[in-house]
Amino acid sequence: MRPVQAAPAYHLILEGILILWIIRLLFSKTYKLQERSDLTVKEKEELIEEWQPEPLVPPISKDHPALNYNIVSGPPSHNIVVNGKKCVNFASFNFLGLLDNPRVKAAALASLKKYGVGTCGPRGFYGTFDVHLDLEDRLAKFMKTEEAIIYSYGFATIASAIPAYSKRGDIVFVDRAACFAIQKGLQASRSDIKLFKHNDMTDLERLLKEQEMEDQKNPRKARVTRRFIVAEGLYMNTGTICPLPELVKLKYKYKARIFLEESLSFGVLGEHGRGVTEHFGISIDDIDLISANMENSLASIGGFCCGRSFVIDHQRLSGQGYCFSASLPPLLAAAAMEALNIMEENPGIFSVLKEKCKRIHKALQGISGLKVVGESLSPAFHLQLKDSTGSREKDVKLLQEIVNHCMDRSIALTQARYLEKEEKCLPPPSIRVVVTVEQTDEELERAAHTIKEVAQAVLL
Amino acid sequence: MNIGVAHSEVNPNTRIMIRRGLWLTYALGVGLLYIILLSIPFFGVPVAWTLTNVIPNLGMYVFLHAVKGTPFETPDQGKARLLTHWEQLDYGVQFTSSRKFFTISPIILYFLASFYTKYDPTHFILNTASLQSVLIPKMPQLHGDRAFGINKY
Repeated sequence: MRPVQAAPAYHLILEGILILWIIRLLFSKTYKLQERSDLTVKEKEELIEEWQPEPLVPPISKDHPALNYNIVSGPPSHNIVVNGKKCVNFASFNFLGLLDNPRVKAAALASLKKYGVGTCGPRGFYGTFDVHLDLEDRLAKFMKTEEAIIYSYGFATIASAIPAYSKRGDIVFVDRAACFAIQKGLQASRSDIKLFKHNDMTDLERLLKEQEMEDQKNPRKARVTRRFIVAEGLYMNTGTICPLPELVKLKYKYKARIFLEESLSFGVLGEHGRGVTEHFGISIDDIDLISANMENSLASIGGFCCGRSFVIDHQRLSGQGYCFSASLPPLLAAAAMEALNIMEENPGIFSVLKEKCKRIHKALQGISGLKVVGESLSPAFHLQLKDSTGSREKDVKLLQEIVNHCMDRSIALTQARYLEKEEKCLPPPSIRVVVTVEQTDEELERAAHTIKEVAQAVLL
Repeated sequence: MNIGVAHSEVNPNTRIMIRRGLWLTYALGVGLLYIILLSIPFFGVPVAWTLTNVIPNLGMYVFLHAVKGTPFETPDQGKARLLTHWEQLDYGVQFTSSRKFFTISPIILYFLASFYTKYDPTHFILNTASLQSVLIPKMPQLHGDRAFGINKY
């Protein structure tokens, strides 16, 4: 025990303190740091007594649109049978008319005979078939990017892609008119969302400048925050095209990454249908991620993201919709591939579609009481009431009357529907008119004429 | 599938320190380090003990208190990106058994080291400094604190 007796006094005191520390540690109870039980037991009882449960089914009026739906029998192709009445389809997003195409159907049937109907598994659990890999290759080659990844549901595509890259503490600048899928993706990402006015580049620049000043005040924090700009190529809620050249300029000036959502512009804009990048002549390497769903022009189900390998590969493990949902049924992948073939073989359909869009856009100008919202190039545009009655319900009822009258005259239209309580920036109620390649000029004229008459009758 | 292995821990870092066998591995690892240090010819017993105290403490400081976030992607969208491993343990609950183990083990090492170095002043300064560097960040009052803003982001 000699060394202990030779120990200096300060050391023995220190060791004594440490032993006391150990004893205190061994006897302390675990506690959570932010335990906030500000309520006494009595207050808790009071709160429990006062609580009234909400009804399981909230009271809804009888003419809620979800309770009065139209029943479609047969495919929603050019001629659609709604509630037993044959109409011309101006409501389905079948821009290139590939929904009822015999080649696409034959390819799907062949794939059905070969693979069966479903895949019964996500991509990681034997759900990857050669059709999926082929479709990914074809899409990557078509969009001239390095790699593409397929999702089995269009809504889940962008809603999984955004949270895969943008996490807590990152900043996303997004347009106010972004579609619901983007909003859900942003909500899932838990990032800081900064909304800028629709297609207003000065507003976006103002937000980016403010962020830059914040970054200069705190450079260490700025170094670990990622910045993203999310825009749609062709906005579904307004029918306008995003100003991509200015966005790319802002991207390089303020060092943000661009995510482009091309659901409506894929297969519509551009010389060969490659979307808004081809439309503006911007190199696809400037865009970090392009996401689109195959449910519009390609007339299939699902969606894809394309970009550099480095970017897309990340989604193979982090894309929640990719890893945890069953993969796309092979017959739909084969249908999408055949649709791509058709798109590549006749690039003339895109200019035909543009012509038709311009035509009906011109024909619908000057309707009493309704204004056309959307660019003349957009095949999906909106008709909004020029003067709103003041309440959204009344507007919706008026528009529904117009839609019903048009349906009586065998023009199938639809209103744009939103989850009113869940949308961040609820667009005004509108009728959404969709132009497809299959509609003849006479039908376009007749539709414009019908809408004009009906609007005249209902709104005046 | 395996029964009973599904769990809802989104961040494996929170539960790793209480895994079966980790404490024993840590103790045996420190013992092995001591034997290796002792087998180097020009280290005497005191130097070996001081190094056995300092090197695990240094490792503990770097891995538990300096490095932030997780080495893997977690499904919680980066909740623990700015937290050190010590702050992530057990989701921030203080005085759990793994925290107690990792607070007490440097102290035990310190006692042994100071006994075997015969309370020599130089060794004392080294050992005490090393112990402080590993004890002070573990205090619950310093949870989430970053002194002088170093290592904040």
